[in-house]
Amino acid sequence: MSVIELAANGVVYSSIIVLASIGLSLIYSIAGFANFAHGDTMTVGAYATLVAFGLIGGVGFTILGVPLGFFAAVGVGIAAAAVVAVVTQRMVYDALDVGSIGLLITSIGIAFIYRALIQMGFGADTVRYDIPSLRPIESLQQYGVLITAHDLATVLSAALLVTGLHVLLQHTDLGRKMRAMADNPDLARVSGIRTYRVKLWSWVIGAGLAGAGGAFLGLFNQLSPRMGFNLLLVVFAAVILGGIGSVYGAVLGGFLIGMIVEMTPLLSRVGVPIGIEYAEAVAFLIMVAILLVRPTGIAGDTAEGGGV
Amino acid sequence: MSDASAGDEAGVEPTDAERTGSDPVLSLSNVDSGYGEVQVLDDLSMDLNAGEIVCLVGPNGAGKSTVLKTAFGMLTPWEGTVEYHGRDIGGMAPEDIVREGIGYVPQTDNVFGSLTIEENLRMGGVARNDDLDEVIGRLYDRFPIIDEKRGAKARTLSGGQRQVLAFARALVMEPDVLLIDEPSAGLAPNTADDVFEDVQAVNDMDTAILMVEQNVTKGLGISDWGYVLDQGTVRFDGTPDTLLNDEEVSQLYLGG
Ligand SMILES: Nc1ncnc2c1ncn2[C@@H]1O[C@H](COP(=O)(O)OP(=O)(O)OP(=O)(O)O)[C@@H](O)[C@H]1O
Ligand SMILES: [Mg+2]
Repeated sequence: MSVIELAANGVVYSSIIVLASIGLSLIYSIAGFANFAHGDTMTVGAYATLVAFGLIGGVGFTILGVPLGFFAAVGVGIAAAAVVAVVTQRMVYDALDVGSIGLLITSIGIAFIYRALIQMGFGADTVRYDIPSLRPIESLQQYGVLITAHDLATVLSAALLVTGLHVLLQHTDLGRKMRAMADNPDLARVSGIRTYRVKLWSWVIGAGLAGAGGAFLGLFNQLSPRMGFNLLLVVFAAVILGGIGSVYGAVLGGFLIGMIVEMTPLLSRVGVPIGIEYAEAVAFLIMVAILLVRPTGIAGDTAEGGGV
Repeated sequence: MSDASAGDEAGVEPTDAERTGSDPVLSLSNVDSGYGEVQVLDDLSMDLNAGEIVCLVGPNGAGKSTVLKTAFGMLTPWEGTVEYHGRDIGGMAPEDIVREGIGYVPQTDNVFGSLTIEENLRMGGVARNDDLDEVIGRLYDRFPIIDEKRGAKARTLSGGQRQVLAFARALVMEPDVLLIDEPSAGLAPNTADDVFEDVQAVNDMDTAILMVEQNVTKGLGISDWGYVLDQGTVRFDGTPDTLLNDEEVSQLYLGG
């Protein structure tokens, strides 16, 4: 495989990691704990997309080989992940008075519950969306890039969502409040921000993006009850690499980790006999190396008051 | 537990010994308060009248910041009342108290470092329904230091500029009571003087101010009334002159 082909695959994989990383980081900075149910929130989004797509169907024409109805189904998947997260927040996390470590451990339990429910409903086997697989885009093959129109749809959708989030954070009232809360929650209350509402919106946005990530992960591979959980460590690596709590760091970290994972085969080409099965280990090694130099992560705040 | 007689003996002019206002906008009465199980305030009572600057002094750990936090709903009083214009606001949430007309400038971390100056001011006005741009415009006019830096991140400001921004953020709501915790802490003397001038300017805009200050001479110097706090309760109160000239007060609490 050529470098450019690996890089192209990296961009596709990264898009999915980025979608998941943003939510993990956002929830960490605003809700105040590392949410181990985040991977399984992706799975919720994927299966909700599966169900919705089954109901909606293709609806006529396709964009980049993806039926229009699928995009609507992804919308449902995003909404379902957001609703599940908000319900969990209100019924479980918010009702507990256990501090951030207690919440982290609780979220591990929540992760098991999500996964068990999905497995009970859909079985443990892998499933696929009812969308025919595509051959790589021909016009790109001459450059050695083997990606399908589905991959392109994934990358473009992720780019759209990340851009939307950026606009929200920088140019809306809610976004400014979210950044203010991530920076200094006490001062946010003192200023009159209804922090509880902003927290709920952070769950909606963070889980919604995870749901989208899950939906596209299902398109990239297939669906299984463990799909999101299997990705969780990589997502954590991305978030920590970017600087935990920073949304922009998560985007960067997600991109880098995704690229590293997909580019690992290059190592054997330069004489380092490490197979693709160790790709994630390589990503973690590089993460550790970067953290040794920059303990707060790439975009992490070195001094006071972190932003989003 | 105020000790008025101590003040009378200090030989200050009688007109100064009397408190001019008698129209309390904020009153704490017999307040007990603290953190978790730890009691800090013990039967504390004090008043802030319309138009006044009142200065709260006392040793480290006396409970000065705790008074402001209790008045502002960051802590719920265990006993006693916090009244604002005669209405009990004890334990009301800070985000609601802001909407009632009280502002609070914390002792530390009092700006959003990763937000721009403009964004900090906008956060100060989240509870406003109208005229936000107008009010912010007026604050820029009043505090040119921050006007020049609208787009800069607050963490790039100097200590004095930061304190100005912290005031301005609280003033966007146009509160009629402002609680300020140690405005001059960590500032060079000249900068501290500027900050005290700003406090007076804010007071001239018809805002009653309850201020905690370590710099006793300067803090009391711009105030109408002072309270000396120790171990969570008021030991003395009086006019600034009375307190500054009182032997016992200065020996015990004002560093001689
Ligand atoms: N968050 C907290 N949790 C527990 N105890 C606290 C907390 N904040 C303050 N205290 C304790 O309450 C007491 C009063 O603190 P407070 O901050 O009100 O003092 P202060 O008079 O403002 O002192 P300083 O001049 O140092 O600012 C101190 O003994 C302090 O250790
Ligand atoms: Mg204090």
